[in-house]
Amino acid sequence: MSGDIRSEGNSNYELQQSVSTWTAFCATLKRDLLIAFKRRNDLLNPVMFFLIVVSLFPLGVSPDPMELTRISAGVVWVSALLASMLSLDNLYRADYEDGSLEQLLLSPQPLYFLVLAKNIAHWLISGLPVVILSPLLAYMLYLPAEAYTTMVLTLLIGTPVLSLFGSIGVALTVGLGSRGLILAVIVLPLTTPVLIIGAKAVTDVMFGVPLASHFALLGAILALALVMSPLASAAALRISVN
Amino acid sequence: MWLWFSKLGSPRWFYELSSKWLPWLYALMFVMLGVGLVWALLFVPADYQQGQTIRIMYVHVPVASISLACFPLMAIAGTITLVWKMKLADMVAKSVAPIGAWFTGLALASGAIWGDQIWGTWWAWDARLTSLLIQFFLFVGVIALRSAIESPDAAAKACAVLAIVGAINVPIIKYSVEWWNTLHQPASSISFDAVAPNPPEIWVPLVIMILAVYVFFAISLILRTRNEILQRERRAQWVMDLVARDQQK
Repeated sequence: MSGDIRSEGNSNYELQQSVSTWTAFCATLKRDLLIAFKRRNDLLNPVMFFLIVVSLFPLGVSPDPMELTRISAGVVWVSALLASMLSLDNLYRADYEDGSLEQLLLSPQPLYFLVLAKNIAHWLISGLPVVILSPLLAYMLYLPAEAYTTMVLTLLIGTPVLSLFGSIGVALTVGLGSRGLILAVIVLPLTTPVLIIGAKAVTDVMFGVPLASHFALLGAILALALVMSPLASAAALRISVN
Repeated sequence: MWLWFSKLGSPRWFYELSSKWLPWLYALMFVMLGVGLVWALLFVPADYQQGQTIRIMYVHVPVASISLACFPLMAIAGTITLVWKMKLADMVAKSVAPIGAWFTGLALASGAIWGDQIWGTWWAWDARLTSLLIQFFLFVGVIALRSAIESPDAAAKACAVLAIVGAINVPIIKYSVEWWNTLHQPASSISFDAVAPNPPEIWVPLVIMILAVYVFFAISLILRTRNEILQRERRAQWVMDLVARDQQK
């Protein structure tokens, strides 16, 4: 069903050459979002996964409100991390299999911006719904009211980093047969700083610790990831597709 | 300069040169290890606080210092692979990954044994321990990626990218972990920075041990790289000659 969108984009090489980088960026973003919205299940899966993982913790740890309050920040953050991991595979695989990834690599526009567009689309599809859903889950885990804003804000800054870092891992493994576990092994260690800072900010706000440094560090990591990680993803894609 | 550089990239040149180096490196390692170990285990005075367990330091500190050096080394080799497409650099990068993982594991294990004696626990979520553990995971990721990609050329480039990304991340992980734990429970660990003001009879054997383990590391890296050279160049004439000569003996 998405075939006509793809062929439209690649129909004419001369036409592509006259396309500005900005137009190509918007077109890639729009295309990825459109494909995602046509596959509703893929859209729902990360959110459902997030919901299920979070609800496993009270079952596994304890339904005691005190206990849950203590671990709530970490649980929400770890679950968001895992949900982002789960949805990563969609980022380049379908494009790799039907060949449109090769067209992307051949396009005259800088690959950096096209990869960035795909990463932003991935975040809008998988990261943003998790961020929006997080207050509900935080409520179920008895997170104190004063920590809600911090949790949503840290997730808002942190989840794009997860998409950006994850993209490197997917790009490296896109051509492989069995990539599910290897992707997690490669990507998860890279995401630890975001997890540490994000979860700690939410815990610290409960104790009244000032949060400026947490947000500064998270913002710095996001800035670094925005600049560097699409470059690494682009290089990795060129290697994998060859 | 450039001639030297391109010569260095030739696996055959490295193989022949390292054959000459190896006996000397072995001799150096055995002398230094012998002196260092005997000195450290028998003659260093017991610490007034830690008693005999201070001797674990003479294994732990060298091993840990190498484990920290391995990731940057792998990233540098990866950069050379990507930029100059030097075959030897990738062979070194491939060889250093398992060695780095082993040394990181050894640093964690020897640290755990020491920690059990001093802190009363095998494991603590101390900043140094945690960042070393994550570094171990990074090594595992590089090794897993290498073994998953069939084409050696693609594997070389992919691992190079991952090594560079990881090397940029290692300091970030280290500082975020330190920031995470030191803010939480300050000064819960014993710092090794106190080594410097100690008397020479304690730190001189430590320096000898560090150098000895560095030579050991160099030897194992060279041996692994030589193995890799033979495996990849097995169709080359000089390797076939080498094997033929070996069989004649």
